[in-house]
Amino acid sequence: MPLHSFRNRRRIALAATFMALGVMFAIVWVQEGWLADVSLLTGGTLLTCVLLLGLFGMRRRLPMLPMGSASTWTQVHIYMGFFTTGVYWMHVPDLIGNGIFEGALSIIFLLVTASGFYGLYASRTLPKRLTAVEVHHFDRVHWHRGQIADHARQLLEEVSAPVGKPVLANYYTQHLNPFFNSRPPLSYVMVPTGRRRRRLLSGLKNLERSLESEGRGTAGRFAGLVQLRDNLDYQFALQLRLRLWVAFHSMLTLALITGSMIHGLMALGLAG
Amino acid sequence: MEVEDPIAVRRPQRWRTPMDASMNDADVLWLRSREPFANMDAKSFPRSVPLEGVLRNDCRIRRCEPGEIIVREGDYGDSALLVMAGSTNVMVDSLPPAYLGRSSPQKLSWFQSLRQSLRRAVVVESRDPEEVTTNHAASHPSTTIRQVDDRPAIFLQDFNAVLRDHATVELGPGELFGEVAAMYRSPRTATVIAATEATLLEIRWQGLEILRHDKRFADSLDLHYRKHWLNVHLRETPLLRHLPEASLVRVAQATQLRSFGRVEWNADFDRIRTLPAEQQIKSEPVVCEAGRTPTELVIIRSGFGRLSQHHGDSHHTTAYLGKGHIFGLEELAYNSVRPTNTPILSLQNTLRAVGFLDTLMIPSETFATDIMPHVRRSELPARAADLLLQSTEQRLRRNDLGHNTPQTTPASLPETDSGNDTGQPLPQTALLEFIVQSRLNNGRQAMVIDLHRCTRCDDCVKACGDAHNGNPRFVREGLSHERLQVVQACMQCSDPVCMIGCPTGSITRDLDSGVVQIYESICVGCGSCAEACPYDNIRMVEVFDRQGRPYRDLTSDLPIVKATKCDMCSHLPSGPACTAACPHDALVRIDLTESKPLQEWLDLRS
Repeated sequence: MPLHSFRNRRRIALAATFMALGVMFAIVWVQEGWLADVSLLTGGTLLTCVLLLGLFGMRRRLPMLPMGSASTWTQVHIYMGFFTTGVYWMHVPDLIGNGIFEGALSIIFLLVTASGFYGLYASRTLPKRLTAVEVHHFDRVHWHRGQIADHARQLLEEVSAPVGKPVLANYYTQHLNPFFNSRPPLSYVMVPTGRRRRRLLSGLKNLERSLESEGRGTAGRFAGLVQLRDNLDYQFALQLRLRLWVAFHSMLTLALITGSMIHGLMALGLAG
Repeated sequence: MEVEDPIAVRRPQRWRTPMDASMNDADVLWLRSREPFANMDAKSFPRSVPLEGVLRNDCRIRRCEPGEIIVREGDYGDSALLVMAGSTNVMVDSLPPAYLGRSSPQKLSWFQSLRQSLRRAVVVESRDPEEVTTNHAASHPSTTIRQVDDRPAIFLQDFNAVLRDHATVELGPGELFGEVAAMYRSPRTATVIAATEATLLEIRWQGLEILRHDKRFADSLDLHYRKHWLNVHLRETPLLRHLPEASLVRVAQATQLRSFGRVEWNADFDRIRTLPAEQQIKSEPVVCEAGRTPTELVIIRSGFGRLSQHHGDSHHTTAYLGKGHIFGLEELAYNSVRPTNTPILSLQNTLRAVGFLDTLMIPSETFATDIMPHVRRSELPARAADLLLQSTEQRLRRNDLGHNTPQTTPASLPETDSGNDTGQPLPQTALLEFIVQSRLNNGRQAMVIDLHRCTRCDDCVKACGDAHNGNPRFVREGLSHERLQVVQACMQCSDPVCMIGCPTGSITRDLDSGVVQIYESICVGCGSCAEACPYDNIRMVEVFDRQGRPYRDLTSDLPIVKATKCDMCSHLPSGPACTAACPHDALVRIDLTESKPLQEWLDLRS
């Protein structure tokens, strides 16, 4: 395995993170042994980490400056995120802070952390699922949907078989037209499944016995379009999830940074 | 089975599209009265391609005015030029790029980069006047573009001063230049300027090839190449760099120059890329066939080669070769050191020309006597190196026993770090075939995306837009193979066919960085580069001023159009913004002319 392989990088980064956490834990433990107030130490470390984690957002917006690649920043962001979670646990052992402001800040921190962990999982698993179906640009999904709907309408218009046409037209009006001409339902966008596709395909399959040769050919082409549209919706749902996650994580991070700074100033004020 | 009626069509004819439709009988007669055509034997040309036909269809008469830059150093060209009348000057030293209208983009500082990204233009493809033309009143350029006959020509402003300050060599009537660049697809090595009003005959490479039917002309071309260039090209080959001068001379004498396929491979590419792999392989000219006894060491001078092995009824690609790579080294090296009682190692792969392949062929005897003794063991393929080591040890043992006289052996030479380029096989045949089939092996900085890591965030495209004043130079689209996508962004090709035919030399390769740059102020917007690019990676765009007013030509009132493409962010301190912006290690700019970098990149993530 190459020395700089992703696997080795992960091992080294995890070892460094655990080592840093171990050192931090030892310092806190020794300080507590001396009956010192460690909340300023853990809080200060936490605030510094949150600010450094927030800098990644700034780096993403300034790709032209030679400040290291965004992928290096991502790696630092991920492992510093792990470290920060550990420090947070040292700072707030009960996970939710006392008081309304502190409690809200804790919830924001936990939400940012949870969304960060989810983001890590999603950014490592969703690309493979996206690659499994035909690649489409998120911005052009709407245009592609229109193209598919037009194509489906045209297919129906081209049917000349006297027996098959009414059967296909009926199925198109009842099932295919709503599918092709509307956005996918929210439930699908949240958890994309193959249920809609399977239902429509099985409906088309059932029609076949009522159709002659030409009609069966058209039903097959409809099935192809259903598959195409489902792939498109699948791409849309997963890409939207990735985009919403970034927006959610960034906005909460902004709130966390603001809240943390206020909390830090208040703590310093109280400490005199 | 029913036999369908054939469809009658007219077969395409050679010279259906002449190089210059205005060439007439009088021009041809005039040319036939001038050297070297006056003494050419018309009977030595096949009836299908007569000498007069070449002069009429593969040539163009060019009138040049004093101070006109005829060819520029570093340009690619597919034609040679013969001076018919007047005088031209070859610049001995390189002219500063600004003299050729190529003012290098200045690297921006941190602060300037930041300011540029914050003050991005609202108007798409907006330019300042000095970026649009060198003929702008406010600019004081060292070059200017003027129309000569029906073509744009670039002129030196202070031609006399340039001649005074730089050493030149004069070329007069009957002298040919640019033929090496045209026939061997290499950059022009010098800038040539018209000293007086001059008439030149431009001969495209197809015509040059046919003119070789005249023995005197062919000999003079070969002699010129062998005298001036062959030794340089041989010396550039890493395997031959330790050869003593005497051996190099013998190698040069024995070397054969052979070309396969069609230089204008990009013309056929659109048709060929759609063929299934096995059909494409079958259509490629065979250079050396697997199973045969190796008789030559093949050095690839330009173009691409495919190595393949028999697999059932078809061939499977095992590797690809490019400029500077060597074929047949393992077999020849093994055969030259093998014990006499062991069988000869025959060629293990078939070498085919992918599009076009230009080779230097060194006979096996010359290899054994003049090259092998000077090759480092570390430069040999493993099997031959092991055998060489064994034979050296045996010889040393015999020497110890006093059976032999001491002598210098190749194995006793110090080993150095250089590896030789024999083509590194990628394990995945399908990936290899995808790369060769799509001619991606031409890319020196191909943009490859790992689709298993790419979250489709388009940060790469946004970064590209930020780096280019809001105008991204690529769209995240392109050919895909399993988890890899090769994005449609300029690959800074090893064989940049886009550079051939640019009338003002505005598209050229930066010799230091290897980036193919477009100098917009001298781009006349003809679109020849965009048309020639086999990968559709150059876009022609209409340009506007900062207020959104379109630039228009003073005389024709047509919009001013410029060629745009990825410039590897040469002006940025961070390098390519796309690579720097990818947060998931999904995007890389990679050299696909070698298979090793891609293999290593894939290994990192496996």
